[in-house]
Amino acid sequence: ATLYFQAFLQMCNLPIRVVCRANAEYMSPSGKLPFIHVGNQVVSELGPIVQFVKAKGHSLSDGLDEVQKAEMKAYMELVNNMLLTAELYLQWCDDETVQEITYPRYGSPYPWPLNRILPYQKQWEVRRKMKAIGWAGKTLQQVLEDVDQCCQALSQRLGTQPYFFNKHPTELDALVFGHLFTILTTQLITDELSEKVKNYSNLTAFCRRIEQQYFEGHDKDSPATAAAPAAKGPLLR
Amino acid sequence: DIPVLVSEDIVISQPAKILNFLRKQKYNADYELSAKQGADTLAYIALLEEKLLPALLHTFWVEAENYCSVTKPWFASRIPFPLSLYLPGKMSREALNRILLTRGGPPLYSLTEVEAQIYRDAKECLNLLSKRLGTSPFFFGETPTTLDAFVFGFLAPVYKVCFPRVQLQEHLKQLSNLCQFCDNILTCYFRLTVSGHSPAGQDTADANLQKLTQLVNKESNLIEKMDDNLRKSPQHPPRKLTTLKLAAAGEESSLLSRLSP
Repeated sequence: ATLYFQAFLQMCNLPIRVVCRANAEYMSPSGKLPFIHVGNQVVSELGPIVQFVKAKGHSLSDGLDEVQKAEMKAYMELVNNMLLTAELYLQWCDDETVQEITYPRYGSPYPWPLNRILPYQKQWEVRRKMKAIGWAGKTLQQVLEDVDQCCQALSQRLGTQPYFFNKHPTELDALVFGHLFTILTTQLITDELSEKVKNYSNLTAFCRRIEQQYFEGHDKDSPATAAAPAAKGPLLR
Repeated sequence: DIPVLVSEDIVISQPAKILNFLRKQKYNADYELSAKQGADTLAYIALLEEKLLPALLHTFWVEAENYCSVTKPWFASRIPFPLSLYLPGKMSREALNRILLTRGGPPLYSLTEVEAQIYRDAKECLNLLSKRLGTSPFFFGETPTTLDAFVFGFLAPVYKVCFPRVQLQEHLKQLSNLCQFCDNILTCYFRLTVSGHSPAGQDTADANLQKLTQLVNKESNLIEKMDDNLRKSPQHPPRKLTTLKLAAAGEESSLLSRLSP
């Protein structure tokens, strides 16, 4: 999610500085990440931050007509519904990944016994949510198929255009970049998830293009450094 | 687990699996769609599930008045005893759980705030659907596709079921192209007239029938009274009259006989 924001703000031509803090979740007014600190104001979460930026006069989707705006919102929901849920599933419901990667990563900023209790609590919360939406019964293969279906839809929508709505990037481009880049660069037990994305060459080209255009030359804000805090757990989610 | 498709000996239970089965049998509503339109279908379905479904679940299963007066009796009447005592309650709890787990959480701390947010999202979703539909009969032109079926499946219950608490229905009724869309599908594929079989229509028919019965009863009461009166009213007096005459004649004759020497 942090990457989505960085991309979004870069696309709006707004200068930002990313700072890593272990207590980030507590600093945020809503308890959720990411949040931005502008002057005297602190705003957290996707919707409010986009509204805040819009109120200050920057918006990426002003050039779209009503039908395109509806389409953009629908695709953003698709990404949230499929990719985000699949990422959560993989992190918290796939036993191998949970033991080898997620538990150590999530618990690393805390001393014992918190580093055991907090990840376990988080896992329980995520599993409850998965059960409520019907994903608890899915196997890893089914989840990967869903990711594949989602990537196929995104790839077909993108086609040969540079961005989803042709010439100019919108919130959707930032969101898709955020998720796909994370999937492509985060180390997991297997490469199956990133392989699914790599099957679609226009999507990988899209990610590379955005990385080059908006992140290269900004060393502090480069996606590589933003992904590193992923090792600190709470910062990205 | 519903819905369930039973085809000869095969039983299939989830929507995605049912659609796959039908496609393998060569039934495909999306055959004419381009790749991009197929992708749009997935995206809009995701939009419906994220933004509209929570409010729908709330209207049917969580809103107390609606649940107690409509949903629970309706479902209980179709489920065999004793499950009818347990299942509706379980479905209601699952719905609330799902709403709170997916949409609850900071910065929304109370159920009323969550409810306000989900209804706002649902109304926005309806507006988006209306804009996307525009003036065409279906979402991808002149023929219906999977997306039309999905949208209909979400909208029709909101449009037609008569609940005591109806904020979502009122909002939907303002979007005339969506109402037209639902009516269109109902007449073409469900062979119902527009005023057809909604519970409201049934209620007015029942009320009318009741009034008619009362009138008929009143009439028949009146007729019975009239009958009674008729029976009580004298049919014998004419005979009495003749006997009187004879008696009178008799007396006269006895008088005459007394008078004659």
